[in-house]
Amino acid sequence: MVKVTYVAHDGTQTTVEAEDGDSVMHAAVSNDVDGIVGECGGSMMCATCHCYVDEAWQDRVGPRSDGEEDMLEGAACEVNDRSRLSCQIKLGADLDGLVVHLPEEQF
Amino acid sequence: MALAPLDEEITLEQLNADPYPIYRRLRAQSPVLRVASAGRTFLTKAALTKEVKDNPELFSSDDPNTPMKPAFRAHTLMRKDGEEHLRERKAMMPALTPKKIQSDWGPLYEKLAAEYVSRLPRGETVDLFTELCGPLAARILAHVLGIPEASDEEMQRWSQRLIDGAGNFGWKPEPFAASDEANDEMDLLFGQLCDKRRAEPDGSAYSVMLNADDPIPMSQIYANIKIAIGGGINEPRDALATIVYGLLTNPDQLAEVRAQQAWGKAFEEGVRWVAPIQASSRLVTEDTQLGGFDIPKGDTVMTIQASANRDEDLFENGEEFFVFRDKNPHQAFGNGPHHCAGAHIARRTVGKIILPMLFDRFPQMRLPDPGAVIWRGFGFRGPINLPVVLN
Ligand code: HEM
Repeated sequence: MVKVTYVAHDGTQTTVEAEDGDSVMHAAVSNDVDGIVGECGGSMMCATCHCYVDEAWQDRVGPRSDGEEDMLEGAACEVNDRSRLSCQIKLGADLDGLVVHLPEEQF
Repeated sequence: MALAPLDEEITLEQLNADPYPIYRRLRAQSPVLRVASAGRTFLTKAALTKEVKDNPELFSSDDPNTPMKPAFRAHTLMRKDGEEHLRERKAMMPALTPKKIQSDWGPLYEKLAAEYVSRLPRGETVDLFTELCGPLAARILAHVLGIPEASDEEMQRWSQRLIDGAGNFGWKPEPFAASDEANDEMDLLFGQLCDKRRAEPDGSAYSVMLNADDPIPMSQIYANIKIAIGGGINEPRDALATIVYGLLTNPDQLAEVRAQQAWGKAFEEGVRWVAPIQASSRLVTEDTQLGGFDIPKGDTVMTIQASANRDEDLFENGEEFFVFRDKNPHQAFGNGPHHCAGAHIARRTVGKIILPMLFDRFPQMRLPDPGAVIWRGFGFRGPINLPVVLN
């Protein structure tokens, strides 16, 4: 199991235990975390799972995946260099304890 | 395992008139059911509809014998899978992202909505469905797509003919003759506008597709615009009418929506309550199982998102319109790779612009006789009239 903490726009923190190999989007949706919608189920079609990777984790999370950039650019809230589509971040032991911040709205 | 049970009683007429009591029964008794009259296996629970749409390898959108082909004179992205689908979808997407709509299109949509809302007569009974919902949806879409030269009437007529042709499972000649005529008119207009949209990029879907570094074939650019015409007018039209009905028949909720400016929530609840696209089909590519039954290769399953959106497992009192639900994980925009390309446009235009404007301009709007509103549709559903008194 991998721990992930989601920090909502209003500061509320939720920590969940996710399966190895799960995505940050899917872990949020299956644990009822508000602020991540992920409507298209991880197909990079909806841009409703935007998150900001916590600075301390940025290097370990790594770069954006192929094709992610285009969709991410269209997200509803400001996109910065910590922005990712959370469906494209796969969880593993190396990301145990990951912290991501959520935008004010997803659409 | 066994095949799913076969039903020979449910008729298309019943589904068209009011499918909801039937779906409620099926969710409780037979969530996987072969329905003879529709020639499809109905899936009515949210977990099943999502599972199918999230798994495009096993449940393909690519139906080689779809009447959509002759209706659109093309194999559109909606009926493709994998890389081919992705490439065509991405070609259009830059025109449809939340950011694009918010920053570039927002002011234009405000202006169009203001124009159409302000020409409605005060103090009279008006059918909002025909006077506002349809024409405004058509006008907004014409701009998004880069064909504002088309009139509201043309846009709506083309849309309806494409839809009727795509649903012509009886392969009768008349609907295809009508869609052919619409195709001729659209092809002519697109041809006339091509050079201008290429020379003067304006961020519209047509312009974006023409000016891409590695453009998709012209035939597919046309097909993409047509699929958006077919899929982008009736749904926001029906959503708007449904939400206005929901709010006017629940004045306490309307008051609260106003107080909190919760128009976005009202939008989500409206499309959950009566999903404008109620059902989608997928072709089964390998023998598999769903909900404890064998589903053979070659079968066509129907994901009934209308029913998923009222599933007791996810929603309390799902049969009721209730804006202030804790959670609203509806599937009105579908799931998976074919998730609605226009979801952000619909949310912004209907939810954030049109609804607040309409109720602001006509604070005393009333629906004198809710019983006079007629609801129709199995594949697509919504009110087909909405006689309100505007004040
Ligand atoms: C409230 C309004 C709307 C609703 C409820 C809605 C619903 C849907 C649904 C359920 C699908 C998936 C169909 C499937 O899985 O087979 C879909 C696809 C699609 N929608 Fe919408 N839609 C709406 C508005 C729009 C608008 C305004 C546009 C205009 C651009 C649009 C364009 C499309 C396109 C192009 C597809 C095909 C996507 C693909 O196959 O990749 N929709 N819509």
